[in-house]
Amino acid sequence: MNIMHPDGGGGVATENLFAQHFKNDEARFIDYYLNKMGGYTALKKAFGMSQDDIINEMKKSNLRGRGGAGFPTGVKWGFIPKQSAKPKYLVCNADESEPGTFKDRDIMRYTPHLLIEGMVIGGFAIGAHHGYIYIRGEYTREAKLLNEAIDEAYAKGYLGKNILGTGFDFDLTVHRGAGAYICGEETALLNSLEGKRGEPRVKPPFPAQSGAFAGPTIVNNVETLAVVPFIVNRGGDWFSGLGKIERSGGTRLISVSGHVKKPGVYEINAGSMTIREIIYDLCGGVLGDKKLKAVIPGGSSAPVLTADEIDVVYDIDPLMKIGSMMGSAALMVVSEDYCVVKLLGRITKFYAHESCGQCTPCREGCKWMEDVIERIEHGHGREQDLALLLDIADNINGKTLCALGDAAAGPVMSFVKKFKSDFEAHIRGGKCPNV
Amino acid sequence: MPKCIIDGREAEFKAGENLVEVAKTVGVEIPVFCYHPGLSVVAQCRMCAVEVEKMGKLQTACSTPATEGMVVHTQSEKVKKNQKGVMEFLLINHPLDCPICDKAGECDLQDNSYKYGDAYMRYTEERRTYLDLDMGPVIKKNMNRCIHCTRCIRFGAEVAGVREMVAVQRGNNTEITTVDGRALETDYAGNYADICPTGSLTLKDFRFKKRAWYLKKTSTVCEGCSRGCNIELHQENNVIHRTLPRENQQINKWWICDEGRFNFRYVNASDRVSTPHALRVESDWTSAIETARTAVAGKKVALLVGTDLTQEELALVQQFGAKSFPGAMIAHFGTSGVKNSSDDADADALLKRKSKTANLHGAEKLGIPAFESLPAGVNAVVVIRGGRAVLPSLGGVTASVGIGVFAGSQAAGFEVVLPGLSFAEKEGTVVNSAGVEQKFKRAIGPVGKSKSLSEILMMWNFQGTSPHASQNQKVTAAAGGV
Amino acid sequence: MAKILSQKFYDEMNKLEPRYPNKVALMLPALHAAQDETHWLSSEVLEEIAAYIGCHPAQVREVASFYTMYNLKPVGKHHIKVCTNVSCALRGAEEIVGHCEKRLGIKCGGTTLDRKFTLHEEECLGACGTAPAMMLDNDYHENLTIESVDRLLNELEAK
Repeated sequence: MNIMHPDGGGGVATENLFAQHFKNDEARFIDYYLNKMGGYTALKKAFGMSQDDIINEMKKSNLRGRGGAGFPTGVKWGFIPKQSAKPKYLVCNADESEPGTFKDRDIMRYTPHLLIEGMVIGGFAIGAHHGYIYIRGEYTREAKLLNEAIDEAYAKGYLGKNILGTGFDFDLTVHRGAGAYICGEETALLNSLEGKRGEPRVKPPFPAQSGAFAGPTIVNNVETLAVVPFIVNRGGDWFSGLGKIERSGGTRLISVSGHVKKPGVYEINAGSMTIREIIYDLCGGVLGDKKLKAVIPGGSSAPVLTADEIDVVYDIDPLMKIGSMMGSAALMVVSEDYCVVKLLGRITKFYAHESCGQCTPCREGCKWMEDVIERIEHGHGREQDLALLLDIADNINGKTLCALGDAAAGPVMSFVKKFKSDFEAHIRGGKCPNV
Repeated sequence: MPKCIIDGREAEFKAGENLVEVAKTVGVEIPVFCYHPGLSVVAQCRMCAVEVEKMGKLQTACSTPATEGMVVHTQSEKVKKNQKGVMEFLLINHPLDCPICDKAGECDLQDNSYKYGDAYMRYTEERRTYLDLDMGPVIKKNMNRCIHCTRCIRFGAEVAGVREMVAVQRGNNTEITTVDGRALETDYAGNYADICPTGSLTLKDFRFKKRAWYLKKTSTVCEGCSRGCNIELHQENNVIHRTLPRENQQINKWWICDEGRFNFRYVNASDRVSTPHALRVESDWTSAIETARTAVAGKKVALLVGTDLTQEELALVQQFGAKSFPGAMIAHFGTSGVKNSSDDADADALLKRKSKTANLHGAEKLGIPAFESLPAGVNAVVVIRGGRAVLPSLGGVTASVGIGVFAGSQAAGFEVVLPGLSFAEKEGTVVNSAGVEQKFKRAIGPVGKSKSLSEILMMWNFQGTSPHASQNQKVTAAAGGV
Repeated sequence: MAKILSQKFYDEMNKLEPRYPNKVALMLPALHAAQDETHWLSSEVLEEIAAYIGCHPAQVREVASFYTMYNLKPVGKHHIKVCTNVSCALRGAEEIVGHCEKRLGIKCGGTTLDRKFTLHEEECLGACGTAPAMMLDNDYHENLTIESVDRLLNELEAK
């Protein structure tokens, strides 16, 4: 059944998993979860399965990581060695800092028990007895609500020692970040968890071999873990079938914002809608019925799309085919009302601000790009600046220690190429043609 | 042994060896900044990125272990573009300080820019600058020159064992510093200047003293303690300007402590006595030797030898004593509180030893006992040492003759002073605390009118027949060095 | 050295200790808990945290200075952080910032003379669907308008 909130957000999947509980302040309590959502039945079922069985269901589900990389979750869980001298860990990446993304926030404040149950099941499947939820520091209220839900779960015996009498112990701890987008990168997150600077590590070794405190570790996004109870209860094939295209199972929570009439978190079947349908059918169209100028489809890291490119199916593989990405499923809509040069400047400033500073191309190159774009924006651009920007971006792209460099270079390359005339107008005219 | 191919050359490697090291074995240089074989690998500078077949992106050679059948290209267009790119990025904020920077001539940034960078600059924005905090007496910090390789951070944490050098802020504003203007705590601070690939961390002691290309380098062995770290002495015109560590994987790896690094200062110090003195008045060699002979004639003599002397010198003294003062006590002195090799032990977790001279173990090997006290009736003492052994207390007995290196204040205690050679002015052999015999070369000629021990004793009417080496024999290089 | 942090801080840390395999992992929780008490983190507070964790004070500084939420300089009684990232910028964040600057008489990064307010631009807060948004101390305020901002500032100034 479709759910549409008047001020934005809702669910139009053939079967909504989350949408019917969002915006309901009662949903987060364990009584609601137990009575109205079949809470913790999946956990009981999981305890009767083997670790391999659970991981196989995850593989069948075609669940792809919901954080941005889209890596098949079942395959990831399979990387954990069965035996390990060091303790294993399950870490939830609740750092949600990709601009445009706000779906995990709703999961944590409205349906936290889905996440908790998903983590206990995940811990059981990989043999971890400790779980951490690394939540961005700014989500102070959500961290508090999560802790309350965790206390409820401990009180009812779904966390702690000898859960449901199975002998399986699992402790869950909320660990707050402190304002660093880079801590969304899994190895930077692990360093931050360990009490260090949030600097990404050299890979290999990968976290499945050596992660938190040098032990085998799986890092998963909030939404990824929150759908685990559904997969265990209803089966991987059922989840896979919810997805409408190949190799992409389940429903997806998409965050839509910017120049749309009804911004919010929407739940759709994976691969079931084009970007055009999302903007005009789901979100009521462009704000003020203005002309659409640009769409950033996957958080600010995703290469920008023009108004001509929005007939693509909104999912991981179709977007990759046209040279962009779904990323964190954060769709930002830009009408002709905002200068794209200024927008690129703000995006590049973000990456320069969030760069950890370890590797040369990102540390020096992002700031350089920010300065050049600012010059162009304020009418001091030169003819050679566009070629310069593209070359700086090329010297960063694929050359850095982690993906933040690529995330900074991608927007620069796509904006400059696809909106060349806007940039040229700034350089030649000395000001924005729109304003 | 497994093999891989680098630029068409077949290279054997040991399991786990990274491509930077493997490439060296077939004569291929891959430029680096953050990589140092003695520190953990961070793959941050991105300078060493190379093309590896079957891997899409460029791979940093420092963090990529060679595998069987791996095919590597270090000269492709992609690799060269990245090298130019990295050099450009590093130079956009780096000040053009070369004309006033100590590091010029031995600077990795200069060398790699020349070999792998571009000759022109596209950057026209404002440059980033920092204010410098003082870091204490050893190291001068110039943060504007820093290229954020983090070698210094890793050295402090991993080798020196103190996490005092840290990065604060993040991104483009990252600053490498000690916190709150603290001085560096470690006794190994000098190594920060060695490993810094730019002139960001330099030695205050060497600041503005000498351009690196004027210095002549000699491989020798440190006399600071019984570890026997391998070092280089750098000199111009018979003046030593600095000491650098020399790599020796068995003894000191790549490092040296500050005490050893700055030990050389006394060699050219202005208060060193480098002319003969008789009865505390400057004299000539013939008169001084005559005065010395008179001073001990008919007396009961004891010979005290410093453990900072070489094996050759100690053997000479043994023969001299046997011939000229038969039955006289010959005993060694060196470090208060450390009499025998059994008293010697590690003084810290890295390199320093309790014995503060280089040859305690060698002296014992020659059968020379440690000095406890003078036998009854001794009324004249001849003290022979290099420049480091701590002069023993003689309990009121006259210090008749001092042979060796003395500062003015020390020389005043002797009736006759015959100036000898410091470790930098002679060649010889020393035995370290692990029993390793190391031969070292001389770096400079005698300072002032100082003479070698064999020459002094010969003038005292003794011809030495040292079993190790005579003064004319060419000495082979000390272990581990050139 | 006399302790600045309260017993409550140490009790909270002691409770957290068993959740982690070593004390260094308590670095971020300790910095948060200390800042909750002291409002900003002076060198003395950082030293006390270093003593508690058992690490070099420089180690605390390198971590604290990496993250934007830790104030290493004094801030006003109320910390206003207005998001100006993509979606908020598209929905009028710049006007909100400009209005705050005019109303408080300071530029972004500054603190009012009576030390009541510090104003900063902020990166994406994860409230894009309810943009423009800002953080006031620990709370989010969303769907901002000039009027709603004025109401909020009136309330705070009245206290």
